[in-house]
Amino acid sequence: MHPRHRLGLLALAITLSTVGPLRAQTPEPLKVIRIGVATGGVGSNPIRHGGTTTALAYTDGAFEEEFRKDGIEIKWTFFKGAGPAVNEALVNKQLDFAWQGDLPAIVARANGVKTKLIAGSGVRTGLYLAVQPDSGIQKLEDLKGKRVAVFKGTNLHLAAVAALSARGIKERDLKLINLDLASGRTALVNKDVDAIFDYVGAFDLRDKGLAKVAWSAAADNYKFTRQTHLLVTDDFAAQHPQAVQRIVTTLVKVAHRYSNEAHRADLFERWGKTEYPEKIWREDFIGQPLRVRLSPLLDAFLVSRYKEAAKDAYALKLTRSLPEIDSWFDRRYLNVALKELKLEGYWPAYGTDGQLAH
Amino acid sequence: MSSSIGAGAVLPAPTRDTARANPAHRRAGWRPLQGLWAWPFPLAVLLLWHLSSVWGWAPEQVLPPPAQVFRTFADLAASGELWDNLHISLVRVFTGFGIGLLVGLSLGVAMGLSPTVRAYLFPLFKAFSQVPVIGWLPLLMLLVGIDEALKFLLIAKATLVPVTLNTCHGIQGVPNRFIEVARVYGFTRWQMLTRVVFPAATAPIWNGVRYGLTHAWLALVVVELLASSEGIGFLIVYGRQLFQLDVVLAAVLAVGIVGFVIDKLLSLSEAWLLRWRKPGL
Amino acid sequence: MSSEKTFVPPALRGWVLPALIVLVWWWAVASGWSTSPLLVSPGAVWDRAVQQVVSGELWTALSASLWRNARGVVIGVSAGLALGVLLGWSRWAERLVGPSFHTLKQISLFAWIPMLSMWFGLGDGAKVAFIAMAAFFPVVLNTFEGLRSVPRDYVEVGRVCGFGVWQLLTRVVAPSAAPSVFTGIQLALIYSWLATLGGEYLMASGQGIGNSLIDGREHFWMDLVLFGVVVIGLVGYALNAALEALERRLLAWRERTVARF
Repeated sequence: MHPRHRLGLLALAITLSTVGPLRAQTPEPLKVIRIGVATGGVGSNPIRHGGTTTALAYTDGAFEEEFRKDGIEIKWTFFKGAGPAVNEALVNKQLDFAWQGDLPAIVARANGVKTKLIAGSGVRTGLYLAVQPDSGIQKLEDLKGKRVAVFKGTNLHLAAVAALSARGIKERDLKLINLDLASGRTALVNKDVDAIFDYVGAFDLRDKGLAKVAWSAAADNYKFTRQTHLLVTDDFAAQHPQAVQRIVTTLVKVAHRYSNEAHRADLFERWGKTEYPEKIWREDFIGQPLRVRLSPLLDAFLVSRYKEAAKDAYALKLTRSLPEIDSWFDRRYLNVALKELKLEGYWPAYGTDGQLAH
Repeated sequence: MSSSIGAGAVLPAPTRDTARANPAHRRAGWRPLQGLWAWPFPLAVLLLWHLSSVWGWAPEQVLPPPAQVFRTFADLAASGELWDNLHISLVRVFTGFGIGLLVGLSLGVAMGLSPTVRAYLFPLFKAFSQVPVIGWLPLLMLLVGIDEALKFLLIAKATLVPVTLNTCHGIQGVPNRFIEVARVYGFTRWQMLTRVVFPAATAPIWNGVRYGLTHAWLALVVVELLASSEGIGFLIVYGRQLFQLDVVLAAVLAVGIVGFVIDKLLSLSEAWLLRWRKPGL
Repeated sequence: MSSEKTFVPPALRGWVLPALIVLVWWWAVASGWSTSPLLVSPGAVWDRAVQQVVSGELWTALSASLWRNARGVVIGVSAGLALGVLLGWSRWAERLVGPSFHTLKQISLFAWIPMLSMWFGLGDGAKVAFIAMAAFFPVVLNTFEGLRSVPRDYVEVGRVCGFGVWQLLTRVVAPSAAPSVFTGIQLALIYSWLATLGGEYLMASGQGIGNSLIDGREHFWMDLVLFGVVVIGLVGYALNAALEALERRLLAWRERTVARF
């Protein structure tokens, strides 16, 4: 090879090898905050979504209002692919905050995605088993040998498998088909699957006469309920800690407003305008005080649920490593918010056994 | 005429002299070295890939190191998981392909030979073929659900279109002078069909079959990505949902290998089927 | 040809079957013979069509899809032409890159989706990349074949006439390879439309005609799904027809032989 060409190649190699590590870490002024939501919502322009404090913040435009005076825009993105799709965006650094379920977040953490959990948003969320209207399935044990739809990679998946294995039912005792929620419901109606693990959509099907609900996690054991949270990427938190604080404080304000039982009717009316009618949301909350479900606390209960979820996920080979959980929770923002709003003690803190901590 | 999918595409490679002279090929002793030239490029890419994971150009989740992908591939192969899923997919694809081939050949022959049939069927068929396989998916999902029927139907449809079109055009395209000569010789209808029409049409028909199989494999992957609990497409989805891109890449590798093998088998069959053809057409 | 009784005029024959199908369909729903909630009447589909057109939803969805398709096609076809010319013209390039390319093209198109999703995240980037890929492969293959099959005699005659390299390219090689290149572009259009729809199904939410189909399926709105199918078919037909017209004009100088394969 011509000596000039050799030199050229060497120069190219050197340049290429230095470009990678050289990435400026200077914080830029904040112009837009990107929040990802691990569900598709319904409708479009605007997308409607309900069920949690984050959803309420979205509908009320709470974050937009908070940051309006700084001219900072809030960009919400809804993911039909749920948790796993949010992970793809997180990995590509296309999101700053995300509302996500426990399993996909644990999977991301096990894969080295750097985030911090900053608030609970939708704890003890329900899990239901919907079956065909004329089905003989009455309890989880009846699922042996049947075809069951579950959206793999989401917290529905983990909770379902945990509930099954608590009864000694292994994955190979039945056929778990991976379908997103909409496809799963279609499949149930078309009699392609015998059952589906679903959220409140199960009630919607039941009310349309297309299914009946055979099992509910809340009625069974709190261990099979699902947890969802709000997280922030380490990058964003490092560059704009004040923005993170304001988001958390706003979220706490929203949670406070709607945890008031006097606002119960108002709450469900709001949610009734989103994916499902009011009645269905109410049903999911029967017997549960708003303060429990809408609590933003990162208490011992939540921590223990996530630890168990991580262990289960690892045991079920859904993750390849057991990520460390304790340091994942960043309570600083929450504590500051609670102090500032004088709401310490407003929400009950639960211990690892699901009972009140004190 | 040019609307036939694949009808004009890959000409069966004739070995005629082309504009680029290849003196190197004529030198004996160079031939064994020809195969070596295929390697530098992929090896360079592999090296770049490996370096990018070492130097962290792309996050590990997005681009797992090649060593890990190969290890995962080996694991999947060893545990039998790869073969199980592959097996299910292959059964699906060949069943669907078989159905589509049968229907496609019959339709193509019918439309090719009889102008009446063509007049009635072709417009509808053309409209039908304008909607790609993907477009039919939600409709079929609603109609037949997500079970095996969906997969067979979609794969059959994907096969059907190129096969029918190419068969029909192939038969129509038999030069008139062949038919005239056959008439002069006093061939019966049957002899005309078997000695003149079909041999002349074999090349385009085979082209159609080839495209049919490619489309069938394509349709299979798509359907399994969207609605399945097993199969190679399902493996890809599973890896994606659980953020294990190395599983995805290993499965994609398997898909590529199968595709390659199928293509090789097809070209071998083609060479055998068309062995009577002289180059330099 | 034959002396059949023609009670259906030849021009209308193509319409007989479709008309029959619509008739049977309408009767199945109207008479209550089919009780499936999924089978909607042709009238409902028509209503939905009108609603979609009037509300402008059709245009939003369709233009989003077509715009994505266009971007992907432009990128894919240009890259494909470049690589195809390179492989066809340079023996070295063919030796080095050819085998890898032929191997890569064996990988079924949709298998790339999870990776593209992972590499581009959300947004149109992933979908456009996918569409570009779909368009890329057939263009490369056909351009390569077209260039390879330029008969040596033509080039020799050109050289005898004293053509320079540029003249050789434009007067001899390009016209000879053009039909093959056109076939490649036609295939690229077909595959890219396929990829546009597939990308909308399998990658993050957005606007598009594929998304309308998915929405319809999710909500069991059969009329929307059927309407979507019709629209997709029409677009496919229009793209095909446009390219055929273009081809006729550009390649008008070529005489058609009977067997065109």
